[in-house]
Parts: sequence; C-alpha cells; structure tokens
Amino acid sequence: MNESTPGKPRVKELMKKLTQDYYGDAARAHNEDRFVAYTTAVSPVELFVAHDVIPIYPENHSVMCITKRMTTRLSTAIEKKGYTTHLCAYARSDLGYRELGESPIGGLPDPDFLLACNAQCFTLTKWFEVLSRRYGAPLFVFDTPQYIRNKKARRNIIRYVEAEIYELITALENLTGKKFDYDRLREVLIYSRDACRLYKEFLDLAAHKPSPVNIFDALIHMAIIVYLRGTPQAVQYYQGLVDEIRREKVAQGIGVIPNERFRLYWENLPVWFKFREHANLLASYGAVILTSLYVHSWSYDFDVSDPIRTLAENYTSVFSNVELEERAERALDLFQRYDLNGNIMFLNRSCKAVTFGEHELREILTQRTGIPVLLFESDMGDPRFYSEVQVKTRLEAYFETLERLNV
Amino acid sequence: MENRIVRELSDIANNPYEMARRQRAASGQKIIGSTLADVPEELIHAAGLLPFTILGTNRPIRRASALLPDNACSLSRSDLELVLTYETDLFDGFVLPQVDDTTQHLSDIWRRKIPTSFFECYLIPRQVDRPSARQWLLDETNRLKASLEKFTDRKISNDELHKSIVLYNDNRRLLRKIYDLKRQDGDIIGNRAFFELIKSSMFLPEETHTRELRHLLPQLEKKAPSGANKGLRFVVAGIVWEPPAVMTILDELKINVVGDDLCTGTRHIANDVSTDGDPVAALVERHFKKGPFSPIHNRGNRIQENLVDLVRRYGADGILYLHLKFFESQDYDLPDLKQGMGEEGIPMYVLDTEYQTTHLAQVKTRVQAFAESIRGE
Repeated sequence: MNESTPGKPRVKELMKKLTQDYYGDAARAHNEDRFVAYTTAVSPVELFVAHDVIPIYPENHSVMCITKRMTTRLSTAIEKKGYTTHLCAYARSDLGYRELGESPIGGLPDPDFLLACNAQCFTLTKWFEVLSRRYGAPLFVFDTPQYIRNKKARRNIIRYVEAEIYELITALENLTGKKFDYDRLREVLIYSRDACRLYKEFLDLAAHKPSPVNIFDALIHMAIIVYLRGTPQAVQYYQGLVDEIRREKVAQGIGVIPNERFRLYWENLPVWFKFREHANLLASYGAVILTSLYVHSWSYDFDVSDPIRTLAENYTSVFSNVELEERAERALDLFQRYDLNGNIMFLNRSCKAVTFGEHELREILTQRTGIPVLLFESDMGDPRFYSEVQVKTRLEAYFETLERLNV
Repeated sequence: MENRIVRELSDIANNPYEMARRQRAASGQKIIGSTLADVPEELIHAAGLLPFTILGTNRPIRRASALLPDNACSLSRSDLELVLTYETDLFDGFVLPQVDDTTQHLSDIWRRKIPTSFFECYLIPRQVDRPSARQWLLDETNRLKASLEKFTDRKISNDELHKSIVLYNDNRRLLRKIYDLKRQDGDIIGNRAFFELIKSSMFLPEETHTRELRHLLPQLEKKAPSGANKGLRFVVAGIVWEPPAVMTILDELKINVVGDDLCTGTRHIANDVSTDGDPVAALVERHFKKGPFSPIHNRGNRIQENLVDLVRRYGADGILYLHLKFFESQDYDLPDLKQGMGEEGIPMYVLDTEYQTTHLAQVKTRVQAFAESIRGE
C-alpha cells in the first residue's frame, strides 16, 4: 500500500471520523433541542437535512448488530414476545435492541418522527408502525406505487409522490415549528447530487480489468452515501475515495485479487455476517464479486433545477420498485458494462421485497446472458438460516461448471 | 335449517368455477378475475364484464412454489396455484391490486406467467391518512377504467357505472341486514352459511346474487329472534376465513360471529357508494370509509381500536384472530395486539391458518379450549 498524500487523511480514517461525528451528533440531539427522525435507507433524506432534523437509519444500526453477531440473541428476545423468525433480520435486530438495550454503538436516540418509504420495501412500514406505537411518535408513510412501465401511470405516480413531499414538508414544519427553507433544500440537493455521482463513479471502477474494487468494498463504503447524503462531507469522502483508488490501484493495474478469472454479479443484499469470508473463499477460485443492483440503490441522478420533482422521480424508481423486466434491464446493463461472466443469486429469507421476484429474474437473466446461475437460500442477518457446508459445496460445483463451460 | 337459497349459495361459495363457466357460455360475457382486496367490482361490471374474486384454493400447491418462495403468504401462493394449475381456462383477464411486497411481486409473476388478453394492476395507496392518497386513488381508478374501456373497445358511461353502483349497494345493504339479524340470534343463520353468502357474492353475477338475497331476507326475518341461542359471541379478525371449516367449527361450538374485519366479510359489504356526483370519485370515497386493513397505513392504533370497538358495539365475548401463515403484515401487528387486548381485558385467541391446513381436529380442540376459558370452565 502506498502512503497517503501528506495532510490528507486516508478515506478509511475519514470514514471512522465521519461515523463517529454522525452518531455523536445524534446522541446529543435531544440535549441540544434538535429533532431526530428515523428514516429508511431509500428515502428523501434531503428534506430532513435541509430542515436540520437528524436522520437516523435503524437499518444501518441493525447491520452493525448483524456484523457483530448479535442478531440471534436479539431476535430470540423478541421471538419470546411473539415476533416470528420469518420477519426481516433488520427488524428483528432492531426490535431486539429495543427489548434488551444492547447495541454495538451504545444505542440510538429515540425518534421524534418516523418516515417509511415503501419503494425500498413494505416491511419498513410495519416495523416502523411498531416503533411509532412504542415511542408515540408520528409515522409518515412515504408511499411510492410500483413504477410500472406505463406513461400515464408514471405521470400520476410522480404527481402523487410530489404531493407527498409537500405533505412531508408540512409535517416537518409542524414538528419543529420552523418554516421550511427551499433555498437550503437546493443546496443540500447539490451535495446529494455530487456525492451520488461520485459514489456511482466509485462503484463503476469495478468495470476496470482487473477490478480495483469488489462488492465488499462497495458494501463498506456505501454507509456514507446512506447516512450522510446531502452533506459536503459525503462529497469530500467519495472524491477522496475515487482519487485514492485511481491513484493506488487503477494507475498501477492492481486488482482486488491476483489472477482475476471470474467477474461475478451478486443479486440481493449480502449475507452480512459472512461477506468477508465469502470474499476470501471466492478469491481462492479466482473469483471476485463486482456489483449488484443493491449497491447501486444510491446511485441517484438528481436534477437540481426542480428539487421536488427530482426527489420524487429518484426515490420512486429504485430497483426494488420497478417491474421485473426493468429490474432485469438494469442488471443486464451491469453485466455488459462490467463484463461479468458469473451470477450468484441469493434468495434472502429476510427480504421479501427483493427476493420474491427472483425466480423470474433468474429466468430473464439466464435467457439474456447465457451465464449459469448459482442460486442459494439463506438469510442476510440470521446465522440460524445459513448452512456453511451447503454454500461451500454449491460454490465449488458452480465454479467447476463455469470452468467446464470455459467462461 | 335447510333453506334452498342458502344451500345453493353455499354450493357456489364452495365451488364457483362450474357456475362461472356456465355463466360465461350463456351470457357471452368475459370473466375478469381479481385478487384481494379493494378492486372496485362496479367498474368491471359497468364495462359489461363479469367480475370474479380469486380466493385461492385449498388444493395442494404444486407449481407456485417454483415461482414464489415458500415464505410468501398462503393466500398469494394459492391464488397463483389456482390459475396456474386448477382453473387455467376460466379467466379472460385479470386485475391485480397491490398493497405490499408480496402482491407487488405476484403482479409481475402473474403478468409474465399467465397468458391472458387483459392484465392490469391496481396500485392502491398504502396510506390513507393524508389527502394525497385520495387524488392518487382517483387517478389510478380512472386509469383502470380507461384500461377496461380499451379492452372492451367501448366507453363506460356515467349512467352505466351509476347503475352498477346502485346494484352493488343493494347487494351490500341486503347482506348487512342479514348480518344484523344474525347478530340478534345466531340460530337465524349460521356462521358458515352467512359468510358463504358474502363469499358467493364475490363469484356470482351481482344481479343473480341480489335477487336471491331479496328472496332470502324475508324468510330469515320471519324467524327472528328466538332468543334460544345463548352461546358465546365472537369477533373474527384477519384477512380471510380460511380454511372454511373454521366457520363450521364455530357453528358446532354454538359460537355466533357478530363482527369481523375480514376482506371476505365486513370489508366487502361495509359502506355504500354515494350515488351523487362523479361515480368514479364516489367509488374512491367508499375506499376511504372502509375500516382498517393491516397493510394500509393510517394514523392511530387502528387495528386494535377497530377490534375493541367491534367487541364493545356487538357485545362480543372474545376475538378469534385468524393468522394467515406468512402474512407478514399480521406478523408485525400481532405481538402489540395481543398485549393491547390483554390490557383491554378482551380475550383473544390467535389461530394459525393456511389454505392447505388439514389438521382440523386440532383447530377444533383449540377453539373449544378458548371458548371454555372464556366461559370459565
């Protein structure tokens, strides 16, 4: 590894600092008479940032619980209260944290307001309803009907979502007693636009051969675009990240693994508690997972000339809220741009929103690419639904198939 | 009691498919299948088509598993199975409403896998607590109307839609009257028989069903009330009363269902559509008058408040909550609901059900034990 430029912190250190500052701010929020809103990873968070309401993402906190291997314990605590193991592991980790008070970061501040955007999934609405009852805080369901491929419907959908944005603005004004500042929104949106472009540029570095980044890098670095969207810090972070990778990897032709042979697509969220092990295991086959639609969920393209409209369009058209054929087209675009030659599709028990159409998606992707698929079922967060032996055996068989086909 | 009309409608509730085929052959009308819930049948009817609600199958799941994972709700899987395997040639088109992740994906899978000349999804707002939802549902209902018009190649006039609304209002009103009689005395009509009246209205042409109800109502009114039935009174909560034997078991235990929040119950028959003004706007307005439905968000603790209200209003002794396997929305509601009912002092029993449930003896034992615990036996 090269030394960093003098005076400039390496992005890894910067990430640590940004994360500490963010959670520090959140922890102090109520003492400083600031408001805390729980929101979902895909949601128009720019409105919160512009209104100086601190957005908190229980999903992120749940990922931390999962990677610290706390989920089985947290989930068991709420299973005793009647919640079933069929539910999303994020929700179970979160509700378990509420029950036991155990957290990898000392907990989250209580919400004054909750927002659930169902473009991402429906589960969040129900999970946040539980939290809304628990804390007596209002829940705003940011409803985004499926963005079907019908022009008339799309016009209507955007009109609906725009109306909801104005309703949300009113709700935030009522919460804080402060007038909403549209100039500030534009400023925040510019930061979001720039950060999202740089984030996408970072993800697209995976198109290089050999690829200087893999999906595991993406999963680590996406944290900032999720919770610091709309801030100058996020822009600075991704600029630093892209520069660093270009300088230290791309310019020198260094890939994630030596002898890169299989360039893989990954469908669905990761198995969070296994992703490092998966990376190592795959490397032993000369394989590297480069991308997924999931990590591209935050590659928004904001047009700041019409903030309300661009927020409506971007947050409604996320991959989990379009028709299967369109989702497949977006995946195929990644296959083509990144020159992928393998496809791992994870049936994630936790995530109905991403998983329930996956058999059909598999059919389309196989037909269009001719690339065989490795399909396996597990859970993104609950090790009780993960079989090490099964995954290893399947991977081994899969790479044998790819080799036989001389991919 | 063995009433001819009740028996015939019961037969249709249990096997509507032959009837529907005969009806299509006789009238030449096309059948439009729709899944639960909230598709405005009046609109399909006014387009000169036969609306038919797809309510799953109790027969084995064979092909749906390869398309929709096993942890998808039992209703969606059995709906898909019905059209994939058992009733492959009955429907001329479909309208699939979306309220959650499962129905959203079901819509995509269905569109791709079931060949048909007409397919439309109906994107129901998943919140009803803000004005934006009304305008959205109006836009969406007008889109559905335009789509039906394109399929039939003719306009639906306001006059036609108005007539359909009047017909459906009559049907709902008659069913509500019979429900009132049943609440007075469970001997007037049993649970299974009554809920089959509702179910059959989701299959039969509305004209035929309404005509039958008109004949049936005075016959039932003559019987009321004997006061002989001193059994327990229950509110049944959930989405659907499946498997149907659940209602038979309640009959056998002399328990009278006096209220419910089911899609194949009150949600289907509650509230009329206004006959004034724009008929599409009136259909939309009815949607917002309906009681709470688990996937659709509204303010407050709506599911619990509604159930408590039903229990108090109809003097029920307890709630039988039918929990449909893998229906995620209920899974999130239930722990708080159980606790809430405990605090309200209302006995509630949660019965896990699925379309393919076969352990009916166990179901009966459990419901019986619940009833006994209420009676203090």
